[in-house]
Amino acid sequence: MELDFSPLFESWRFLLGGVGLTLLLSLLTVLCSLVLGGAVGLARIYGPAWLRAPLVFYIDSMRAVPVLVVLVWTYFALPIITGVALPPFWAALVALTAHVGAYVAEIVRAGLTSVRPGQTRAALALGMSQAQAVRDIILPQAVVRMLPAFGSVISVAIKDTAIATVIAVPEYMNRSQTVAGESFHPIEVFLTAMAVYFIILFPVTRAVDMVYARLAHLGRS
Amino acid sequence: MSRKGHDAGQPAVLDYRAVRKQFGSFTALAGVSMQVHRTEVVCLIGPSGSGKSTLLRCTNGLETIDGGEILLDGAALPRDPRGMRAMRRRMGMVFQNFELFPHKTALGNVASGPLTVLRLSRDEAEQRAAALLEKVGLADKAASYPSNLSGGQQQRVAIARALAMQPEVMLFDEPTSALDPETIGEVLNVMKTLAEEGMTMVVVTHEMSFARRVADQVVVFERGQIIEQGPPEQIFDAPLVERTRDFLSHLGWAG
Amino acid sequence: MNLDWSVVWANAGPLAQGTALTVVLAVATMAIAIPGGILLALMRLSGSRLLSGASASFTELFRNLPLILVIYAAYYIMPITLDVAFSPFVTGLVALSLNVAAYNGETFRAGIASIRKGQSEAALALGMSRWQTMRDIVLPQAVRRVLPVLASTWVSLFKDTSLVSVIAVSELAYTSMRIRSQTFRVLEMLTAMAVIYWALGYPQAKLVDWMNRRFGVSE
Repeated sequence: MELDFSPLFESWRFLLGGVGLTLLLSLLTVLCSLVLGGAVGLARIYGPAWLRAPLVFYIDSMRAVPVLVVLVWTYFALPIITGVALPPFWAALVALTAHVGAYVAEIVRAGLTSVRPGQTRAALALGMSQAQAVRDIILPQAVVRMLPAFGSVISVAIKDTAIATVIAVPEYMNRSQTVAGESFHPIEVFLTAMAVYFIILFPVTRAVDMVYARLAHLGRS
Repeated sequence: MSRKGHDAGQPAVLDYRAVRKQFGSFTALAGVSMQVHRTEVVCLIGPSGSGKSTLLRCTNGLETIDGGEILLDGAALPRDPRGMRAMRRRMGMVFQNFELFPHKTALGNVASGPLTVLRLSRDEAEQRAAALLEKVGLADKAASYPSNLSGGQQQRVAIARALAMQPEVMLFDEPTSALDPETIGEVLNVMKTLAEEGMTMVVVTHEMSFARRVADQVVVFERGQIIEQGPPEQIFDAPLVERTRDFLSHLGWAG
Repeated sequence: MNLDWSVVWANAGPLAQGTALTVVLAVATMAIAIPGGILLALMRLSGSRLLSGASASFTELFRNLPLILVIYAAYYIMPITLDVAFSPFVTGLVALSLNVAAYNGETFRAGIASIRKGQSEAALALGMSRWQTMRDIVLPQAVRRVLPVLASTWVSLFKDTSLVSVIAVSELAYTSMRIRSQTFRVLEMLTAMAVIYWALGYPQAKLVDWMNRRFGVSE
């Protein structure tokens, strides 16, 4: 089997643009889902009781429904209801944030509940308010415990952006398909894609492992 | 305070010759030489980290030695996996943490050696197991899982499990260190019975009164070396070496 | 907004078939990926540098690639390199199996490593071989530990089967979207697709929660 990588050299700018969009979409997804998931996770533990059921429903629904389905529904079906048509990139961002946000919410909840209850009691005994206890005592410990899981959030987000190709977001996966189709050299194109995604993803998980190893002692109580 | 008479003319079952063992830069055994004769009960005592447990684990190949020799019935311990397995069948080991298999009943645990290693039929293996559980006083617990047994009961099952292989030598690695004081006695009684029946035993222990009453030989370890060995009367009542005296007095041993 | 939900009922047959294929795909993948994962874990834990390295590389590779890419790559690479025409179903199955086996390998490795060393020492002291020790003592205990994680992996797998729709495997997602294209009933079909996945996935997720509570590790 002979491999001819020349189509890749010809289209490298095009593909690089795709990589850029992949990274941009991933970054925005991570940021937005951290905000959404953090809020949902905190609200679930410390929020009013009536909020709990809807939030749990949201989280469990996202655990049950595939990303592909959420993406496709957000892009094709949501506009019919709202009358607003989102461009592919923004539809993808909304869908991915909703999906990954639920995952983050679970991580936040697990992290918060893993801090020993005695810690909250000690903080309150000192006269702190609930909000102060959470902010100064619980959250810092909880965040350290959540770190390894956050690494997988980034990893999941990057991998999920590749699925956005099905709603025509011109990220790297999508552009690889375009080049593969035009050049009739799909094997070379997808082999390269695999290498590129691996190079992007591998350091992410390694970096989080290292950060966690450094900071682990801060989380133990 | 009777102890069965022991004839030092018996052949040496285990012969340790200048055994050395390193863990990285730490010297666990710095040239240990001693002999264990058939039907002898040898107790190894000494401070933590002095090498007693390491010597035991080298004896049945759970650790490999870095120098010297260990001979079983005059033949050097094999290094190949097949030979080691055959050698291990001749020695039984009892662990400080019992290490019963939690997914098997007491009967299942005792039968696991005969079944898997000796390839006895299930009936034969279970018969043998039932008899041994009877011997250690736990016939009524045959169908119980380890999580439902006390520490002392678990350790007795562990002894039965090792005996099921019909070993020539029994190795005990601090068998009572993880037990509540109330249950230590039941385990030591089983061990005493075994000794009286003539089993060759090497016991790492902190139970000085057991050593005093049951041992034929007591070997004192310190920092990877033997500092003194001899009959219990010598070690406990009239030690020849100053450091032995120090060690025993630290334990509050008043003789 | 002019909705016609009858299109969903009218196509209940194809949708049911698509659902069945989704289930078959997930079951078949797990049937391959569980022994595959055990094999990878044993390779990783073996003393052999070669086996250990091969296993670690395999696991790292597939955990760091988007599954959708693996599916496309398999679709194009398999026919050429193996010189056989594969059905999309088989291609999808291969891609899913490779992916899930990698995750299972890590799961089993952690499960096996969590069994206390003393257990295998006790088995070895009885004269058991390494293989007998693994088979009779370590693996049975490890399986109990990994059950909740495997259940989680199953739930993810079930969702991931939707990705093989991109190579035209007629599972639930592909079938739903095909009917959408044919009938132009976009909102109805896509919502129906989401609801069906939800109805299947929600109980599964709750089951995983129960398993975590039931089999939670207490040392």
